Amino acid sequence: MTRRAAEFPGRFLDRCRAMVPDFEPFIDSMSRPPRRTVRVNTIKANREQVLGWLRNLDPQPLDWWENALALGQPGVGKRLEHFLGLVYVQEAASMVPPLVLGAEPGETVLDLCAAPGSKTTQLAAMMENTGLVVANDYSQARLRGLVGNVDRAGCLNVVITRMDGVALVRNWPGSCDRVLVDAPCTCEGTVRRSARVLDQWSLDAIARFSQLQKGLAVAGYHALKPGGTMVYSTCTLAPEENEEVVDYLARRFPEAELLPVELPGFRMRQPLAEWNGRRFATGVANCRRILPQDNDTEAFFLALIRRPIEAR
Amino acid sequence: MKRADPRVRGLLERFGVPAEALAGLDVVEGQGAFFIGTREVMTFDAVRPLRRGIRFCRVFPRSVKPTTHAMQVLGRHATRNVIDLEREQVVGLINGEQVEVDAPAAVEDGYVLLRVDGFSAGVGLYRRPVLKTQLPRYRPVEE
Ligand SMILES: C[S@@+](CC[C@H](N)C(=O)[O-])C[C@H]1O[C@@H](n2cnc3c(N)ncnc32)[C@H](O)[C@@H]1O
Repeated sequence: MTRRAAEFPGRFLDRCRAMVPDFEPFIDSMSRPPRRTVRVNTIKANREQVLGWLRNLDPQPLDWWENALALGQPGVGKRLEHFLGLVYVQEAASMVPPLVLGAEPGETVLDLCAAPGSKTTQLAAMMENTGLVVANDYSQARLRGLVGNVDRAGCLNVVITRMDGVALVRNWPGSCDRVLVDAPCTCEGTVRRSARVLDQWSLDAIARFSQLQKGLAVAGYHALKPGGTMVYSTCTLAPEENEEVVDYLARRFPEAELLPVELPGFRMRQPLAEWNGRRFATGVANCRRILPQDNDTEAFFLALIRRPIEAR
Repeated sequence: MKRADPRVRGLLERFGVPAEALAGLDVVEGQGAFFIGTREVMTFDAVRPLRRGIRFCRVFPRSVKPTTHAMQVLGRHATRNVIDLEREQVVGLINGEQVEVDAPAAVEDGYVLLRVDGFSAGVGLYRRPVLKTQLPRYRPVEE
């Protein structure tokens, strides 16, 4: 194990050993800095144009999405193409939830936990700057970043709200074609960027987030129109914040359909079937885990849920 | 596109932005500014938003000032009062410098759209031959 990984909390490492099938490559990746990646902002530019602008940063297109680029050199955040909003600095795994959700032009989309707006601006671009994205977040401090990013990306289809996600949906139920619940979490999957996320790590924190996430996931489901789809995602590994939340949703809404999570060319792993002696509902098997060693990204978890047109 | 307001119409005409370029969009006044966004954005009324779309221009007692962010996205449709710049000139403007430009005769003094390699960089104020920035101070992001 690398020196950096040896400094991770022991309890955290024990849990990872219990939940990750090939622990050594996993922990090795977790202790290396992440790859620099950007997303082409298709509201303003196309991939060829951006590849031209970024030429001397050694850009490498990623094969699972044409608008995802890895950069061999640092410094993109200080460059003119970033000021112009042609590119958005975004970790590669964070591009996956909007792709799995698959928003289309003209739709009505809710991004329930949106700040600082990486996925909001991606959804807005996938919708070709049409329709409506309601980008909500509870945190005043983080909303400033959201406003700045929506401005820089040139999103004309975004409304920004500041509410508790549950309260927002109480006022706007059953209205959305798609909902993204990119939930607040313990962020274990982001240790590659900064090991400091683990300073706050505790089993209590996991339990608190799990409660909050269940409420937000239920709210997200309530926001769907019949036939609408939702992605529940986190950048953490804890099953209490992932499979257990989806299991809760599946039991609460037995009619909800758990659809397979797929992205061609991008490797994802089976979720856990059980944790701490508790078996998850069968549909949970359609969720996916993103492990850092598979695509050289941060870790993520995704579920894709459809509200049927008519409740059975 | 609601263009009844003469201030909004005046700005669009200054840059020669054709009406078709703004199909499906609406402009609404509030908070000392006009905001531009899709019709769905402007009619969303389930809860009170903090923000709808992008600020199109700020309103002053006797004038309106177009915003960089709106012009960065709408500027590609501009046909008048456009000045093409080198990348280094735009970087200079962002850093608060003023530059001298010998713009084509058709470019009038006043607000101009700044373009670099075909992309709209925002708005400047031109008093031939001096071009001053209206570009916001830029905060680079951490990678
Ligand atoms: C993982 S972050 C979202 C990242 C964002 N989706 C992106 O891609 O840029 C989770 C967000 O949830 C917000 N949040 C926490 N509790 C919330 C609540 N009750 N309602 C809405 N948002 C909440 C946090 O402020 C935080 O910004």
